[in-house]
Amino acid sequence: MKRGSLELVVGVFVLAGLACLAYLAVHLGKLELFGGGYRVVADFDNISGLKPGAAVEVAGVEVGRVEAIQLTTGDRAKLVLRLSPGVKLNDDAIASIRTKGIIGDKFVKLSTGSSGKAIPNGGKIRDTESAVEWEELISKYIHGKV
Amino acid sequence: MRLVLIGVLALSLTLSLALAVSGARAESPTDAVKSVVDEAIRILKDPSLKAPALKKQRRDRVKQVVDRRFDYEEMAKRSLGASWRSLSAGQRQEFVRLFAQLLEASYSDKIMNYSDEKVQYAPEIKDDDDYAEVRTMVLRKNDRIPMNYRLMRKSQGWMVYDVVIEGVSLVSNYRSQFSQVIRESSYNELVRRLRTKINELQRIERI
Repeated sequence: MKRGSLELVVGVFVLAGLACLAYLAVHLGKLELFGGGYRVVADFDNISGLKPGAAVEVAGVEVGRVEAIQLTTGDRAKLVLRLSPGVKLNDDAIASIRTKGIIGDKFVKLSTGSSGKAIPNGGKIRDTESAVEWEELISKYIHGKV
Repeated sequence: MRLVLIGVLALSLTLSLALAVSGARAESPTDAVKSVVDEAIRILKDPSLKAPALKKQRRDRVKQVVDRRFDYEEMAKRSLGASWRSLSAGQRQEFVRLFAQLLEASYSDKIMNYSDEKVQYAPEIKDDDDYAEVRTMVLRKNDRIPMNYRLMRKSQGWMVYDVVIEGVSLVSNYRSQFSQVIRESSYNELVRRLRTKINELQRIERI
């Protein structure tokens, strides 16, 4: 009888351990099991090395991630952004590719706009700004422009 | 017989009128940009306006051409962002006027320095009925400057609401600057700074 209850306790502990492990895996790996939040797409002329998983920021606050990057038929880059549900984008929003510092990571900066017309889930951010090639600008400045 | 003839005539007249109207409405965004650019270049090249004394006249004529296609109100509204909604009708008008003056003061010199640049057009981007982006390349003697115009369909036709030069959007640039000034102080401070800036630019121009 005593042996049976001991086994039960061990079993419960093992289960609790497994649950903790699963929790850690999901949270540390930034794996999203439930496709919450909302998705928008945006086309850019040039994203110069932005990677899937890059941050999406509004006013410096991370509000989502780049979920996928594809090439459109017109040779532009199409980004799929997944944003947390609280973010409200208007149809005059602007998405820009920016760099953290001079040589830091690339990220997508959103300016949410204020037209009053919201972009629906799956909608498109019409106005975008491509990555500015800092290195090119700096070298033009240093070596002079022809 | 005569009745039928009149009927046919009337029908063909209405049809041709309808076609003419739809033709005017079907002007493509690229045509809209082209008409402005070509007209401006024609004025800038016009030898009868080349004299230094006629500089002001030349500038006014270019401005007229540009004004027809540039929707300053839309630009100002997009640049100002959320604060736009809290302005009264009078304040909005004033802001649009200042914004147009700022653009004129900042860019007129660059336009007046035109020296035989050519403009090349790439296929426009239009995946929406009411919005389009016309992509052009300004070819200078040994330089190429990508310049894209963003247009939206209004009652008077395609109107420019943003210009993207070398990948940098005009509206985005002003939006972040304006919101910073408003955040740090107030809308009135922004108007004051705009006035100072315009005065400063106009003074430089006169020298």
